[in-house]
Amino acid sequence: MTDARSLTPLAATLVDRYDDGEDARHFSFQLHEPGAAAAPAPGQFFMLTVPGHGEAAFTYVKLPDAHGRFDALVRRVGTLTAALFELEQGAVVGVRGPFGRGLPAIDRGRVLIVAGGCGLAPLSPAVEVLRHSLEARALVVYGARSRASQVLSRERAAWRSALPVIEVFDHEPGVPRATPVDALDQAYAALAGAPDHALICGPDVMMHATAAALLARGLPQERLWLSVERRMHCGVGLCGHCYLGAGYVCVQGPTYRYDELLRELGRHPSRPEALTAIHHC
Amino acid sequence: MIAIHRLGDAKRLCAHLLRSRAVYAPQLVDGEARYARIEAAIDLPERALRPLFSPKQAFFAERETLYRFERGRFVTALPEVSAQALFGVAPCDLAAIAYQDRFFAADAHYRRRREATLIVAADCTRACDGGFCHVMQTGPDARPGIADLVLHREDGSWLLVVESEAGAAALHGLDLAGTDADAGEAGAVRARSAARVRAELVDAAPLARGLALARNHAVPDARWDAIGLQCVACTGCTTVCPTCSCFAPRDVPGPDGGGDLHRERVWDSCLLGGFAREASGHHPAPSPGQRVQRFFDHKLAAEYVSPEGISGCVGCGRCDVVCPGSIGMRAVLARVGTP
Repeated sequence: MTDARSLTPLAATLVDRYDDGEDARHFSFQLHEPGAAAAPAPGQFFMLTVPGHGEAAFTYVKLPDAHGRFDALVRRVGTLTAALFELEQGAVVGVRGPFGRGLPAIDRGRVLIVAGGCGLAPLSPAVEVLRHSLEARALVVYGARSRASQVLSRERAAWRSALPVIEVFDHEPGVPRATPVDALDQAYAALAGAPDHALICGPDVMMHATAAALLARGLPQERLWLSVERRMHCGVGLCGHCYLGAGYVCVQGPTYRYDELLRELGRHPSRPEALTAIHHC
Repeated sequence: MIAIHRLGDAKRLCAHLLRSRAVYAPQLVDGEARYARIEAAIDLPERALRPLFSPKQAFFAERETLYRFERGRFVTALPEVSAQALFGVAPCDLAAIAYQDRFFAADAHYRRRREATLIVAADCTRACDGGFCHVMQTGPDARPGIADLVLHREDGSWLLVVESEAGAAALHGLDLAGTDADAGEAGAVRARSAARVRAELVDAAPLARGLALARNHAVPDARWDAIGLQCVACTGCTTVCPTCSCFAPRDVPGPDGGGDLHRERVWDSCLLGGFAREASGHHPAPSPGQRVQRFFDHKLAAEYVSPEGISGCVGCGRCDVVCPGSIGMRAVLARVGTP
């Protein structure tokens, strides 16, 4: 097994891809040496190298199977992702990781999962665990701009057979505009009570608004988890780019318990921008 | 501390080290002080040269290859480093090395260079112009437990403090018979000298007031915004800073254009506008005020002080020399320390 802090990627092959939402695509990669990397936890991330185009952080939508095959959802937003979208099947890419702190291993009780946009991606492996758990009652609230911009269509179809998925839209013609916060009454009713835990990932405004609404309903900060994005480069807490408070998101995050996140962000409380935590995929 | 000797002549030690390793020391090169490899033994001047660049790049290279991508394979490239010594490291730079040792403890490239290097520090026995090591508690005498060997000049003669096993091993073959010095006496000599140098350095009080505020995030954001207006994002401070450790990846295509390449890391700066900007356009620190606040926080705030009590700023004063906006560390400490 390679050193988890190694800055050298492992080789992987792009084995499959399909469009999955506006400007978003679902990719499957196959590690050349499946045993060479540690097994990731839901919510952790990896660094993807597209040779000649740099390296960027992405989350696991599907964790590696026994053969080292795993999936990621990628939105085309920059030069690296543009190059990735041009790659043919069979192309060699580099993978480092897994990195960071994953989501808490919750497999029982009432669990509320709230995602916005591409923020559904890092929560996906956690939903997979929960939908197979006999002791958990999970529910997904998924907010998107429109139907066309929704991601992970195949995953959501599979989840619906095991748990409720509430979908809300910002700008979908013919559908009343609603945010995940607007769907909380419905979510609490479907869960038959208040959630024991909540996992949130999405744009900053949505995450903090949802967190505030859940706290107001009595959920303790210690039961609330957010997945935060920053500009990650090295993945091992050295290059400095993803600083947040006194730590680095690539090591202390990307998953933060809400009280811990507030402590980090609260060092400069008068900075309105400090309360930003955007997730993109 | 393992032993103390009355060395007499520091040149003798330098000549001895040159027999077993490459030696780098502050030198005047084209009229400019810098760390350079020496071929012949040197003495250390009473007033130490102050290279604009610390020896940071001996361990954390300004630009270095991390791996090669060749014919579809990723191959780690670690530096080949033979035995070397840094001769005459100033106490402030020595503290910076300790700070970086901790930060890069698991970095293979850093370790490879660091483990091949013997460090010979030299107490400052004359005050430098603009340094404030006495505020940051990194000098003017070398902090214990970092260097392998420490030199102390007294009346043109040198005391040699052996601080590590590697330092003791490096002295094998150097005739030190009958030179043992009394530890208590030598300690008193160093303490007297340090007190004398402290008295010659800039007034510590206003800087210490600024430091106390910055340590506890008690400097108002508006103050940082005003300081940020003077930052032109030239990255001079982060480049010469002996503890700055940020880097960026860079892909360099191979010569044949066939898809082979190597990945480098190069020094980067948190003061650049694009440093933390994400591909989505989101920026966690969009204003210059926030970026300079982050920079000074990282150097001064309590949560970044190492367990040994070393801050991200070691008081070397280099950023004050290079900053075109007059917001080097000493200037900023004095400013925020003034009501």
